[in-house]
Formats: sequence, C-alpha cells, structure tokens
Amino acid sequence: MTRLDDEILMRRVDGELGPTEAAAVDAAAEADPTIAARIAALRRTRTAAAGAFPAATDARDRDLARMIAASRRPSPFEGIGGALAEAFAPRRAVIWGGLATAAFVGGLALGPLLGGRSEGLRVEGGALADAGLVRVLDTRLNADGADGAGRSVGLTFRDGEGRWCRTFQAAEAGVAGLACRRDDGWAMQVLAPMAPSSGDIRMAGSDTPEAVLDVVDATIAGETLGAADEAQARNGGWRQRSAGVSRQP
Amino acid sequence: MDEFQTGLVDLLPRLRRFARVLRPHDADAQDLVQQTVERALASRSKFRDGTRLDSWTFTVMRRIAIDEGRSILRWGRVVAAEDDATVRVADPSQADENLRADALAARDAIHALPDDQRHAVALVLVEGLSYAEAAKVLGVPAGTLTSRLVRGRQSLIQTLAEQGVTG
Repeated sequence: MTRLDDEILMRRVDGELGPTEAAAVDAAAEADPTIAARIAALRRTRTAAAGAFPAATDARDRDLARMIAASRRPSPFEGIGGALAEAFAPRRAVIWGGLATAAFVGGLALGPLLGGRSEGLRVEGGALADAGLVRVLDTRLNADGADGAGRSVGLTFRDGEGRWCRTFQAAEAGVAGLACRRDDGWAMQVLAPMAPSSGDIRMAGSDTPEAVLDVVDATIAGETLGAADEAQARNGGWRQRSAGVSRQP
Repeated sequence: MDEFQTGLVDLLPRLRRFARVLRPHDADAQDLVQQTVERALASRSKFRDGTRLDSWTFTVMRRIAIDEGRSILRWGRVVAAEDDATVRVADPSQADENLRADALAARDAIHALPDDQRHAVALVLVEGLSYAEAAKVLGVPAGTLTSRLVRGRQSLIQTLAEQGVTG
C-alpha cells in the first residue's frame, strides 16, 4: 500500500474528503476487501488514540481554576499596542512578494517601511543583501532558536527545481519570510510582517505568518526537513539537486 | 468569571490530555499545563474574538514545549528514556489502572513516535482538530501536517498489530 493510498483513505476516515471523493473511496472499499481492511485499520488508530488519552478531570485542575478565576481582565490599554500592530499588519498581508523582483533595480532597505524599527533588511534585485540574515540562513539550524538579534530559521525544504528554501524570522525588523537558494546567495520569495511581537507568547522562530505559509505551500516539493536532514543539507553547502533526479525519501 | 476565563477552565481537561501526549511524565505534563495557563492569562489581550480558544491555547502550549525542547538541546542535557515500569511506578496519580491494556499499548506507541508525528496525532486523533486547524497550531503547511499524520498512523498500525491489539 503506498503512502498516497493511505493518505486518501485516512482523509476519508477523518472526514476530510468532499462528498464525491468520499463516495469514490467507499465504492473502492466495497469492491476491494484489502482497501476496506486498511480503512478499518486507520479508523482503529483513531479510536485507539482517543482511548489512550481520555480527557479526565484532575484534582489539580481546581487550583488552576482558582488561579484563572482570580486573574484580572487586562485594561483596554494594555493590549492596544498589539491591537494597533495587528490592525496595520493583517496576518495575510505581504510586504514584499517575489513577483515584484523585476521592479527593483537598485537596493531596497525595508526598515523604513516597517514603522521606523531600527534595523531593516536589504534586498537588492531580489537577492538578500543583509549580511546578518544571510549568515543565519547559511548556517543556523531550526533547533538553534534565535541569534542575538532575534533572527531564526523555521522550515527548510526543496522547491520544484531542487533548490533549498528556508523560512526565517527577523524579530528586530518585525518580519518573517521565505528565501530560496539562488547561485551563491538567497533570493527573497516573500516577506510579511510578523504577528504583534510585544507579547509574551512569542517564542523565537516557532511560528510563521500565514502569508508566508501560503507561499511555502505553493513552493514546496516533498516535505520539510527534520533536524538531522537539515544539518546535513547545511553541511553540504545547500547544493541544488540536479533536475530529473528522484526526490529523497 | 468572564467568557475567556470560563472557556479556559472548561479547557483544562483537554489541555492536560494534550500535555500528556507531549510529555510522558505526569509531573512534566502538569508543569506544562500550569505554564500554559499562566501564559494564556498573561497574553489574553492578544486573543481575538472569533478565534477558537482551544486552538489558540494549544498553540501556546506547543510553543512552550518547543522552547523547552530547544533549551534542553542548547544546554546539552541528556534526557534518558526511562522504562515504562519506572514511569508507572513514579506516576500513581495518572490513573493508569483505569486504562485497559490495549489503551496502554496505544499510549506507549504514541509516545514512541517522533515529536512531529506525535503532535499531529495528538491534535487530530486525540483532540479532534481538522487538518487545517492542526496545521495552524503547529505552524506548518497543510501538506506537511498530512504527511506527518500518515506516517504516524502507519507506525501506529504496525506497532499495534505487532502487539496483537485489535482495538
């Protein structure tokens, strides 16, 4: 049974298929006992997982409930910085998209666009010219977290042409983006504002704006790398895989 | 209590359940729940009406868990996997006796999955989130979530079959 088969069957079990596709899977299962058995096995993982972790009440929840009840509602002004930032930086907004590359003849410092934050990112002709961020993309691993300037990498994967792409965050500039390897540098694919960063729930590099994820979805071939493969790709100098070679598993 | 507070209290059993998938040891899971509640309260001004409180709070918990994982890596601490017997003796409060042998086998099999797959399994199979919601909580593309879920499930099917668990 291939992974693709399992994926479709799994989507059927989880109610993630449209009615037409679901009916097609059901018809196939009716005609083929192997498929029916596989569906049953996948369905069992759902019941097994739910049975393994029942949602039980716990005596310690009472203390937590007291703590929650005693908490203060924040004043309307406490959240205003975040609310303003969100109003001016909607999650799907894109500061800079790859299609605009041709429009940039000279250099572009993105700092002034970002509400006067001190540090900008330099992009020249679509290539990333910010030495600090280039270094982070060249050398840093996801597990390293952020460097001293709040720069970190998120997902690493190959595009359809076998080039390496990495998402990143640059906290001081207030942006997150996706850059793909081109020649000896990194070409910016998309740049978007990070969600409001004043808050305490932000952790270095642990989330990526939806606008960037959308471009990742459109760019990715295969899957994002785990920690070991990521280190191997870095140590290999981010070499492009030649066209026509089959994908790594 | 206002709606946010009531919602958070109602979520406690699910938060504890998610924490138990992320952290096999009861004391660690409890720490994670506590930190998540504290951070959710401190960050409530960032919660927007119309957002699902469960997804939002799971995201908070996942970030804390990831950050802890990073600091463990950074400090080079070695976390030795204790054997199951030790864990159970050390965690009498975990109400294991109420779980059937099959459920225990399933729990061990889920804990044995790589983190990425375990998180996907926890959100979709245990917490019942849609693929799109789970992908959002984990901050990964939808396709990545799906392939992690497939691989996690394939391992579970194999492990449970080897142990003769029929569900």
